[in-house]
Amino acid sequence: MKRSTYILLTVLVFTAQFFYSCKKALEQPPLGSLSEEIVANKNGVNGLLIGAYAALDGTGDNGTSLGGGGDAFQASPSNWVFGSIAGGDASKGSDGSDQPAIDPIANFYADANNVYFNSKWKALYEGVSRTNNVLRLLAKATDISAEDEKSIGAQARFLRAHYYFELKKMWNMIPLIDETTTNFNQPNDKDLWVEITADLKYAYDNLPETQSEIGRVNKWAAGAYLAKAYLYQHKFADAKALYDVVIPNGVTSSGKKYDLNTSFEDNFLPSKEDNPEVVFTIEMAANVDPSGPSNANNGDFLNFPYGSSPFGCCGFFQPSIDLVNHFRTNAATGLPYLTAYNDFAIKNDMGVKGSDAFTPDDGTLDPRLDWTAGRRGVPYLDWGNYPGEPWIRDQTYGGPYGPKKNIYWQATAATDADLTSWAPGSSINYLVIRFADVLLMAAECEAQAGSLAAAEAYVNRVRARAANKAGWVYKYKDDTNPLSGFSDTPAANYKINTYPSGDFDSQGKDYSLTAIYYERKIELAMEGHRFFDLVRWGIAAKELAAYFAYQGSLTSDVKRGAFTTGKNEYYPIPQRQIDLSLSGSTKTLKQNPGYN
Amino acid sequence: MKKKRFVALIKTAMRVSMTQIFIGILFTCSSFAKNVRGQEILNKEFSITVKQGKIKQVLTEIQNLTKVNFIYSSTIIRAERKISVNAAHKRLGQFLEETLGPLNIYYKVEDNHILLYEKEDQVMIPAGNDLNDPYLQSAVKGKVTSEKGEPLPGVSVNVKGTRIGTTTDNNGNYSINAPEASAVLVFSYIGFISKEIPVNGQTILNAQLQEEQTSLGEVVVVGYGTQRKKDLTSAVSVVNVGDLIKQPTASVNNLLQGQASGVTVLGSGQPGEEPQVRIRGVNTFGNNNPLYVVDGVPTQSISDLNPNDIESMQVLKDAGSASIYGSRASNGVIVITTKKGKGKVQVAYDAYYGTQRPKGGNVWNILTPQEMANLKHLAEANSGVTDFSDPLYGDGASYVLPDYILPEGAKEGDLSTNPALYNLQPLYTSSDQYNNFYRITKANKEGTDWYHQIFKPAPITSQNVAVSGGSDQGSYLFSANYFNQQGTLIDTYLKRYTIRSNSQYNVSKHIRVGENMAYSITNNPQIGGLSGDNAIGHAFREQPIIPVRDIFGNYAGSYGGNLGDAYNPVAMLERTKNNKTADNRLFGNVFAEADVTSFLTLRTQFGGESYSGASHSFTYPMYENSENTTVNSYAESSYTGYNYTWTNTLSFNKAFNKHRIKALVGSEYFKEHSSTLGGSNYGYFSFDPNYTNLSTGSGPKDTYSSASADALFSLIGRVDYSYDDKYLLGATIRRDGSSKFLQNVYGWFPAVSAGWRLSQEKFLHDVKWITDLKIRGGYGIMGNQLNVSGGNSFTTFGSSIGSSYYAIGGGNTVVSGFYQNQTGNPGARWEKNINSNFGFDATLFGGHIDVSADYYRKNIKDLLYNPEVIGTAGAATVPYVNIAQMKNDGFDISLSGNTKVSPDLKLTATATVTTYHNVIQKISSDASYYEVDSRRFDGSNIIRNAVGHSVSQFFGYKTDGFWNSQAEIDAANAKAQKATGDASAVYQTDIGLGRFKYEDTNGDGRITADDRTFLGNANPTFSYGLNLGATYKRWDISLFFYGVQGNSIWNQVKWWTDYYPSFGGAKSKTALYDSWTPTHMNASAPIQETANSFSTNAVPNSYFVENGSYMRLKNAQVGYTFNSARLLKAGISKLRVYVSGANLFTITKYSGVDPEIGTSSETGSQTAYGVDDGSYPSQRTFLLGLNLTF
Repeated sequence: MKRSTYILLTVLVFTAQFFYSCKKALEQPPLGSLSEEIVANKNGVNGLLIGAYAALDGTGDNGTSLGGGGDAFQASPSNWVFGSIAGGDASKGSDGSDQPAIDPIANFYADANNVYFNSKWKALYEGVSRTNNVLRLLAKATDISAEDEKSIGAQARFLRAHYYFELKKMWNMIPLIDETTTNFNQPNDKDLWVEITADLKYAYDNLPETQSEIGRVNKWAAGAYLAKAYLYQHKFADAKALYDVVIPNGVTSSGKKYDLNTSFEDNFLPSKEDNPEVVFTIEMAANVDPSGPSNANNGDFLNFPYGSSPFGCCGFFQPSIDLVNHFRTNAATGLPYLTAYNDFAIKNDMGVKGSDAFTPDDGTLDPRLDWTAGRRGVPYLDWGNYPGEPWIRDQTYGGPYGPKKNIYWQATAATDADLTSWAPGSSINYLVIRFADVLLMAAECEAQAGSLAAAEAYVNRVRARAANKAGWVYKYKDDTNPLSGFSDTPAANYKINTYPSGDFDSQGKDYSLTAIYYERKIELAMEGHRFFDLVRWGIAAKELAAYFAYQGSLTSDVKRGAFTTGKNEYYPIPQRQIDLSLSGSTKTLKQNPGYN
Repeated sequence: MKKKRFVALIKTAMRVSMTQIFIGILFTCSSFAKNVRGQEILNKEFSITVKQGKIKQVLTEIQNLTKVNFIYSSTIIRAERKISVNAAHKRLGQFLEETLGPLNIYYKVEDNHILLYEKEDQVMIPAGNDLNDPYLQSAVKGKVTSEKGEPLPGVSVNVKGTRIGTTTDNNGNYSINAPEASAVLVFSYIGFISKEIPVNGQTILNAQLQEEQTSLGEVVVVGYGTQRKKDLTSAVSVVNVGDLIKQPTASVNNLLQGQASGVTVLGSGQPGEEPQVRIRGVNTFGNNNPLYVVDGVPTQSISDLNPNDIESMQVLKDAGSASIYGSRASNGVIVITTKKGKGKVQVAYDAYYGTQRPKGGNVWNILTPQEMANLKHLAEANSGVTDFSDPLYGDGASYVLPDYILPEGAKEGDLSTNPALYNLQPLYTSSDQYNNFYRITKANKEGTDWYHQIFKPAPITSQNVAVSGGSDQGSYLFSANYFNQQGTLIDTYLKRYTIRSNSQYNVSKHIRVGENMAYSITNNPQIGGLSGDNAIGHAFREQPIIPVRDIFGNYAGSYGGNLGDAYNPVAMLERTKNNKTADNRLFGNVFAEADVTSFLTLRTQFGGESYSGASHSFTYPMYENSENTTVNSYAESSYTGYNYTWTNTLSFNKAFNKHRIKALVGSEYFKEHSSTLGGSNYGYFSFDPNYTNLSTGSGPKDTYSSASADALFSLIGRVDYSYDDKYLLGATIRRDGSSKFLQNVYGWFPAVSAGWRLSQEKFLHDVKWITDLKIRGGYGIMGNQLNVSGGNSFTTFGSSIGSSYYAIGGGNTVVSGFYQNQTGNPGARWEKNINSNFGFDATLFGGHIDVSADYYRKNIKDLLYNPEVIGTAGAATVPYVNIAQMKNDGFDISLSGNTKVSPDLKLTATATVTTYHNVIQKISSDASYYEVDSRRFDGSNIIRNAVGHSVSQFFGYKTDGFWNSQAEIDAANAKAQKATGDASAVYQTDIGLGRFKYEDTNGDGRITADDRTFLGNANPTFSYGLNLGATYKRWDISLFFYGVQGNSIWNQVKWWTDYYPSFGGAKSKTALYDSWTPTHMNASAPIQETANSFSTNAVPNSYFVENGSYMRLKNAQVGYTFNSARLLKAGISKLRVYVSGANLFTITKYSGVDPEIGTSSETGSQTAYGVDDGSYPSQRTFLLGLNLTF
């Protein structure tokens, strides 16, 4: 070949490549994702709204907490750590080395580095962020009818208020991020009740009374939540005014008039999830994510009996002995011992091996106990009589009891249990607000307003349901075959009565409040409310001191418990978040009082 | 051999003063140097212009140009004579006749080289003549061989002081007429040291020549071309491939450990687990793996490269050498060239077979079952238990081992142990079955040695066949390799089949085309390493009282609740037996090269890879453990992808006067695409592997897929200039465009380097021991964009079942929702690794010693990092932003020497030393640190990557002995109360007798989170490798030592075994015998209690930090090469057998199983390493090997 041919060849090769590699060749759109333009329309915004609901469970993919913090259980929406364990409802359970970060929370010496706080914080702010994205793109979408826009906006604001409410009760001082925020490093120097209330008010004013899907929030849920927000601000009159509307008029999203379920346990049955007691619930679904129970109470999946139990893992969240003792009733009156309950302690099987005989307590008990705690010798749903020690990981550490409200039934395990991971999930919904809760909050408002009879009526409505024998736990027909059903013999010596008419009026406001608080404790036990109630009632120090003194003498987990007034009412702002709030040389986020 | 000769020639040429020589090289002709028929050699064309150059020099140049070797004796042809040549497209034959003829230099084509001799040397005897010719009665005859016994053809044999000379024939035989008995014969041969032997009346005189050892003329493959080693101005480590492939592993990266200075390799004993390779430290918070360039094709992985195929391997360490690879050079570049065929057809068979032996003894120092019971008793007593009652060990003052662990604590003869009650279906499919199992398991009172239940001796073999050959028309190499390494951990293995075909076709004198292709199939099931939750972790957690199997041969385990939560590790591994993986990869290139003009060569190369892989696994339901997964499931996954690089270069090569210029311009386009696909299903009716697939389960069923793609376009330029072979200058520039960036698509990566060969200066001429000395320095910028994902520029929304699906309508039905899954950073730009390097290369004592040393400093600016952002921003994936900053500096030194002690004994030694000092200078504007790896602590992380510190430093509380008395505790508390003004303050949370006393590092009178401090550094001060070799007659022996010094290891295994409350698993002798008690205060472990505490095991503290330094005899080999003369007759040109041992001993203070600790699968983070949570240790391996060539 001639030299010119070679030169021509060179030119050709390079030209070919330049042609081939023109600017287009370096354009690579992201794969498997949607741009904002594609999402900013009716279907897209609806999808974002579902995403905002999906943040309610605090769970991301593969057992992580939402927001990439840590494990799912660190940000559980049920607040089993921050509300129930910290409030003395339950021992951490399991053994001392498992999830050691809960110990400091249970004993109130947790510092700001504790990973549970950071995970919870991140999961909740991801919820806020998702609701903000709904609102931001809702404004950009052009194909949404005014009515839909109102409903979508109101649902998003309801959810945002919920996330802020959670943040508020955990940390008190929290930064505000809304749909207009572009700089996310905001100070936590404002009280956000105004914003939370405004969002809930908007939701109350704009949400429809019913929804086509039971998981969507409605006007009455917003009303009940708004009233709860007032209650937390001690605006009892505002709250009462709302309860006066919500209680008689409220319906569930599916249109059922608000009422208590006949049976207490119905609240915890997936098959009965569309019931009149539902106000605001987080919908759980089992076996929808094959990689784990990410939609099935992933945050609570440690909380099943251990040992030779059919659940396998992991023995956490054991009702405290102190909690169980609350269910003792006066044999004569069927009423609780409001202050002296531990003097009438319920017999338990501490130190009794599974192979040794044990006879359960034969005194009078509130029947709700056996829907709340697994007790030796008492039917554990349809799993057989609770065997005690063989299902407990370390009795000396976590006590003799097992959790129950979060446990699925054997007969419906195929649909209610999610066994796709190393610990079970379930489709039992988490009840953020149920009607019994509304009634008891209303009772507080009435009592605060001095209308003690009305308060008593609310409390008695709750107790009356508990007293309905149709809702009690009964012994098995055949102990060796628990699936064969229940006999007519109550599982224990249940005795419960409503407060005698006029009792509240005659004993005064303090007594009434004590009774209401007590009722709340036992009705909503293990449901994540206790610690936050104690704080808003201003009795955390006293109650927890008593709890630590009593429980600490029986189990080793809270021996060192000590609540510090003026500090432990709120949890510390996660140190990592403070460190990340560096702006110049100052940190924008300020730590809560008492933590350093 | 060829290369060595070539080297020496160049070396000879170098020594000549070149002041009067003006050479212009106009044309480079590349061809095959071997087996060229005489006339073809003589027809080779070249162009050269030399004015008054030494003959020697001219010949060297011609040799470079034509690749034809000249063999001559400088004395005989008087090569110091000066000539002038002006040849344009001159045939070699023509040159020889026209130019050398008149000088009385004549030639003879011998095989593929040309012998030169003086015409008047009439006694020259053509090789192969009848040596018994009576005319030659005083003739001396003999054979010239190399030290390895190979015959050397073409050796000049001269009678000293005369012009009588000859050369050896093809078989190395010569015959010469020595004028007198006292004559001295001089044997000289290119690439070998000349030798003088007095005849002393002998008639048969055999000579053995020793190879010259200098490597200065070695040609080194650098970015987009080659360079002579002596011309290098940048930091390039040339790996000795011979030393490299001695070790029994299939991974080239593992082989690299200790063999090249500047490279740090951290591996494990797991077959197929690719080690962590770092060139000059840690450069980013993400991917720190170097770029590999195999036969000119860039790739991210060489895990399937057959080590036997490697011809040469170079590590480009500084900007001067690596910047030519621009955006992908930041972590350094490893350039690998695979073997090409040459000469006559040759078949080489290399094989070894061996056995790998796991470490013996009680490696984790685990207690016996009785001692476990005693420890429980002790811990309970320490925790205030007075009423001892245990479901397993009974009630009483001391615990007694039961006969059965299931039923719990049963004694022999108990009715509950009646085998008739036993009911267990191991392959159960419903929870009803599971809930009705009746298990009977005997206690193993002697104790189960779980380590040796899962680690067993295992075989390893490699079988390699290579067929190669070449001529002036082309060359070929075909190789096939079968590698099978069974893991010492049962049911782990690496099986790999590799074939390679490299060929080149010389289409015409100026056009060459060819290809290099390798295809591999790999089966390599692995466990995730360094995790307390893998089978190894469970082996030190599972209690010794648990037998492997129950009374009916089904698995036994921790079921029952009082034996901890560990899994039966044997069951874990055996259940994976039917899980299969297969990875396929086709990697290679096709190229064409054309000589456009005499000084311009155009090369176009299209290379890349196409790969795919698939795996399937079945998860059996468990029944034997305290925490069982009771559903069965099946999963499949596959991935597929390709990438290609199309490279076009035009290279220029010209010299005039004392100036020599090599230049190259080019362009390159790179595109990659990869995708994954997978699924899982649950609830199988049968577990038969022939039945299970994604369709046959009963749900829930899951499928997923994903894809990614990106592209690069680059312009390349490079100039190397040398003046007088003394002053060297190199400059490279590359402009890269990446699809990963939106606004700043293009980046420039320049580098300059310079060298000064001091030894060429007059003032060093007289320093005889300095053979060559060069100082050099360079500065440049290397880039990085590896960590950035394709979607980094865009804010996007996505959906995922765990995060954004919701059961909005109730029931077990979820609806898909969206969430923002990525925040975009359209402004991201190239990361810049600004690199300066200063070093020297020296060859001393005539090549007996080579030293190369470098000091470097790397400033990584605009480091692309995705720092955690404040939680209020939401959880969308944080984009990579040019925010962080890092610095590395250090020394790399390599030193090699060789000496010949006696004619039979030769010694060689090579040492490499690598140091790096890494400092994080900035992480983000929001935070000065980030933490990784929390393991089982209270959420505190072990590793803190903080500004001012190295990557992967351990962080936590520093222990300062124990609290030995209540008075001590009271005093500390009083101090804390005074400091805080709080009467109830305690000095330290969970303060207590026998627990750790933490150091108050900030001196505020109490222990808070602020007292945490840096406890150790996973990065070594230095690492080193030492290769020692000796040959004695036909024996060869080699030793390779590797070591690291000055690093720390976080021994997390101790968390599990040294603390009673760290889950109820197996514990160590330390926990029982060397923990704090009131009578044993001088203990190593704290008091054993039943609950965890802040002051013992709940937070990371210095108890876990150990000295990680070690030195290991990585390899020792003894070989014997059989007498080739006899074998030659059988057609065998080489037969060597060897025995070899790997990892024979390790000297270390580290208490764990293996001090080599890399990145844990638990974090997967390349900036978190050195945490030992149960390593897959390197095993001692004994091999028998064979090298056969025919």
